[in-house]
Amino acid sequence: MTSEHLESLSVGDSAPPLVVSDVDRIDFVKYAGASGDFNPMHVVEPAAIDAGRESVFGPGMLTAAFVSSYVADWFGLENVARLRTRFEALLWPGDTVRVSGEIVERSVEDDRTSYEVDLVAENGDGDVLISGDATIEIDDRP
Amino acid sequence: MPEKSLEELREMVGTSKVTVEDLHVEAGKVEEFARSIRDDSELYRSEEAAAERGFDGIPAPLTFTRVHMFPRYCPPERRDEKRRGFDLGFDRGRTVHGEQEYEYERPVTVGDTLTGTQTLVDVYQKEGGRGGQMTFAELEIEYRNQDDELVLTERRTRIETAESEEDD
Repeated sequence: MTSEHLESLSVGDSAPPLVVSDVDRIDFVKYAGASGDFNPMHVVEPAAIDAGRESVFGPGMLTAAFVSSYVADWFGLENVARLRTRFEALLWPGDTVRVSGEIVERSVEDDRTSYEVDLVAENGDGDVLISGDATIEIDDRP
Repeated sequence: MPEKSLEELREMVGTSKVTVEDLHVEAGKVEEFARSIRDDSELYRSEEAAAERGFDGIPAPLTFTRVHMFPRYCPPERRDEKRRGFDLGFDRGRTVHGEQEYEYERPVTVGDTLTGTQTLVDVYQKEGGRGGQMTFAELEIEYRNQDDELVLTERRTRIETAESEEDD
């Protein structure tokens, strides 16, 4: 894969947001089944209600995975050196998740271009579900 | 407060255990995981697409090692242990996942067999926003492949939130 244009991005650059619409209970169930994380708060409505919640809520790691897809699509999976997600608010059934990011730092050393990227995942009301950051390392050698 | 005292928890800091074993990265699981996170990239489904992009095989999505939760990937002798030997005594109803971080050395690729060594990195307490103690635990899992090469390190912060007063 050519990474030519990836070396010449600038601080302030963004990629178009990733929008995941109508994330619903079925998505929580599918993620539980695929990941092995069967925390009842995400998939068993009575358990969530017993715990004082209005309904089940999304696994934080599902929203984190949307963030990871955004970064991998933008920079290439192989160039992601670090990814951090902080869980700020809960994702409720039916919400739409919008992931966006911005390059906040660029550095070049030897044959490597590095970026620090700030990331955010928001719900339809603009509440921050996840704030995060990533380090990207592009090997410039042909 | 967790069931264990802060002193007891602090004594566990620095201990390491193999908590993930024989995690075979299988094409079917990778595709299923990609589908569940609604990522339709061909990269996670086609050897040709992966080869075109310069990968040695089909790579897994960046958060794929979450599948370490499956008992199948837990060393048999730990399967019956509470939290695989890292039972912090946190009240599950009050415990939240605060943060998750990954550091990647190389992509997780179909055909890899991963072993994960988990370390309790830190435990500390803070005053909660509305009083009471919040307890934080930082856990790290270092994943190595069949050639003993470091593939990635994941860190997660678990927080036992303060016991709430009567909700308003």
